[in-house]
Amino acid sequence: MRYVYYPGCSASGTSKEAEESLQAAMGALGVEWTELEDWNCCGAAIAIGTSYLLSVALPARNLALAERAESDLVTGCSRCFLNLIRAIHYTHENASVHEKVNELLAETGVQYSGKARLRHLLDVIVNDIGLDVVAERVTQPLDGLRVAPYYGCCQGMWTYAQFDSVEDPHCFDQLLATLGAQVVDYPLKTACCGGTLSMSRRSVGAKLIGDLLAAAGDADCIVTACPLCLFNLNSFQREAGRIKGTHFNIPVLFLTQMMGMAFGLPKKALGLQRNAVPVDGLYKKIAAGATVSSGAASASRPK
Amino acid sequence: MGALATTLEKAWTPHTLERIPSLRYLVGNDFSLCYQCGLCTGSCRSAYAMKYTPRQVMNLLQLGRVDEAVASGSGLLCTACFSCTFRCPRGVAITDLMGAIQRLSLAEKHADPHIQRFYRAFMRTVERHGRFHEIEFLVRYYALNPLRLRDELRVGLTLLTKGKIVLKAPKVKSQKGIAAMFRKAAQIEGRP
Repeated sequence: MRYVYYPGCSASGTSKEAEESLQAAMGALGVEWTELEDWNCCGAAIAIGTSYLLSVALPARNLALAERAESDLVTGCSRCFLNLIRAIHYTHENASVHEKVNELLAETGVQYSGKARLRHLLDVIVNDIGLDVVAERVTQPLDGLRVAPYYGCCQGMWTYAQFDSVEDPHCFDQLLATLGAQVVDYPLKTACCGGTLSMSRRSVGAKLIGDLLAAAGDADCIVTACPLCLFNLNSFQREAGRIKGTHFNIPVLFLTQMMGMAFGLPKKALGLQRNAVPVDGLYKKIAAGATVSSGAASASRPK
Repeated sequence: MGALATTLEKAWTPHTLERIPSLRYLVGNDFSLCYQCGLCTGSCRSAYAMKYTPRQVMNLLQLGRVDEAVASGSGLLCTACFSCTFRCPRGVAITDLMGAIQRLSLAEKHADPHIQRFYRAFMRTVERHGRFHEIEFLVRYYALNPLRLRDELRVGLTLLTKGKIVLKAPKVKSQKGIAAMFRKAAQIEGRP
């Protein structure tokens, strides 16, 4: 399988571990990833506060590049996914938006026809690669690890891609269970982390993050499907704790980091040294879990 | 029907259209279809901190009271997660309307100076490089904001020690074209 993928700014900088682990985990599954050539920022949640046309045209340029590369576009960032799917939807629904977007894109020498197809990383892993293939690659099952799956708010992916329930998605739960983890019920799994509010309006951003951290209860870690959520939930635990009147110290990982751990890939290849909250304790828990269930290890692995 | 017709008429006063030029590009329904159920506000994680919740903003728009919504700065707390839009039973393009209010609040300086700097610094960085560049953003955002820099020091140091601050600026071949896109958008939208 071969994919052209769009990393996004977050995975290229403040959440580098997402990008590193994605490469490692996909390599282990034998999937070929080529970075979209000359991609640009999708505008995050900021462009919409500056210019309506730019908030559609910036993501649309990446779609135009994918059309030029004659490939589906995959992204592992929910924020980028939402902006990209919004651009597809809006240009399709409103001819004058499409026309204006192409007027802007002409400045960079590309045009967007509306043919590009967009996929989310989770969709590709669960539906293209398949959980059976993932299960075969697991060498170090995450036995005994209690994991909270955080899908993130960008529900556009569920609405438009139509591969899971909008309000109560389960594909991420299934993926984590395939890795051998014990998936905990996480009621806020599709609630927004506040995005850039953690930077622009700290008191509000930290409260939203605090709610998410608290909802994970006694889980050993939270796993995210978005590099921006990864940054937020990792970086502001102290501020969130202050607002919630508690102390948070819960590791937060990107989904391909968790996959890489179960695949037995080296820590460094997964960027695990980069997570703001150290993840070493998780390895100890897995080791302990493996001893407890050693007799029935193969039976406890979901098919 | 009389009362409803009057409301709709008010909603589309020339003033409203002039204040929200992007209404003409709207995908989804406009605010006049909102029947005030409040599902948007119930879906909004930052509504608790807003002076006017999304439902109330839709109501203000229906009443032609755009200026009050803009002055409240409530749009600035929207994270553009689109939960309200996805759930709205009337198909109202709530997030894009909140975005329009947000743009006006920023353009007319109803936001704290540091929030305005935040938006400006982000967009200017993308305009110059085509992608986000942490270092340049931080310099632009905090250079005139030393008090906030102190708050950010802990997070900044963590990023730095974990090797997550990239010093080299991103290289996008079409960087000049992207800057031209920004100018063209400003021209079409009549922004300075």
